[in-house]
Amino acid sequence: MELDLRGLYCPIPVFRAREEISNVGVGEELVIIADDPAAEEDLRRWAKRAGHEVTGSQKEGDELTIRIRRMR
Amino acid sequence: MMEDMKRKKMLYVQTSGIDAPERLYAPFILAMTAKAMEMDAAVYFLIRGITVIKKGEAAKIKIGSFPSLKDVMDQAVEAGVELYACAQSCELMNMPKGDLESRVKVAGAATLNDLVVESDGVMYF
Repeated sequence: MELDLRGLYCPIPVFRAREEISNVGVGEELVIIADDPAAEEDLRRWAKRAGHEVTGSQKEGDELTIRIRRMR
Repeated sequence: MMEDMKRKKMLYVQTSGIDAPERLYAPFILAMTAKAMEMDAAVYFLIRGITVIKKGEAAKIKIGSFPSLKDVMDQAVEAGVELYACAQSCELMNMPKGDLESRVKVAGAATLNDLVVESDGVMYF
C-alpha cells in the first residue's frame, strides 16, 4: 500500500503512518512518500517504537520514499 | 551492575536563540564533556534555538574571553556530538531550511520525544 504525504508536515506524517499501518496486513509493507524534511528521522523512530521494521528508504531531492513493514 | 555498565546518553534541548548569547555556550560545553566521560550526547535546537544553527550566526557570537560560539560548535561536532534541528521551528522563525548548518540533522516531534525517552539525562536551556 502506498501513502502519499507530500505537502504534509510534522507531526502529521507520523499520525497518518500510524493510521495507515493498520490497513496493511502483518508482514506487508506500507510505502510512504513524503517531502517533510523531518519525516525520515521521525518515521524511523516511530516505526522502531511501534515495533515495525523499516525495510528501505531513498531520497530524491526533497522527496523521501520509505518502506515500513508491519510487524504486529 | 549491568545497567551501570551501559553507555549513557545525554540530551541538551536548546530553546534560547541568538538574542540570549549567554545561554548558548553551555549545551555545547556540556555535550563535549559528556563525550569525554564516555557518554553519548546530542543537542536539539527548537523554537528560538533554531537561530543558533542558522548558517553564519554562531560565528558572530563571542562573549568576553570565550572563543566564538562557532569554534565551540565545531569542537562539539568533532567530538562526536549530534546536532538536531526542529524543521517546524524553521517555519516558525521564518527561516529557510537551506539556511541551516550542514552538520545538523533535520527532525521533528517524534524524534524529540524519542530522544528524551531514550536519554539518561535531559537538560533544557
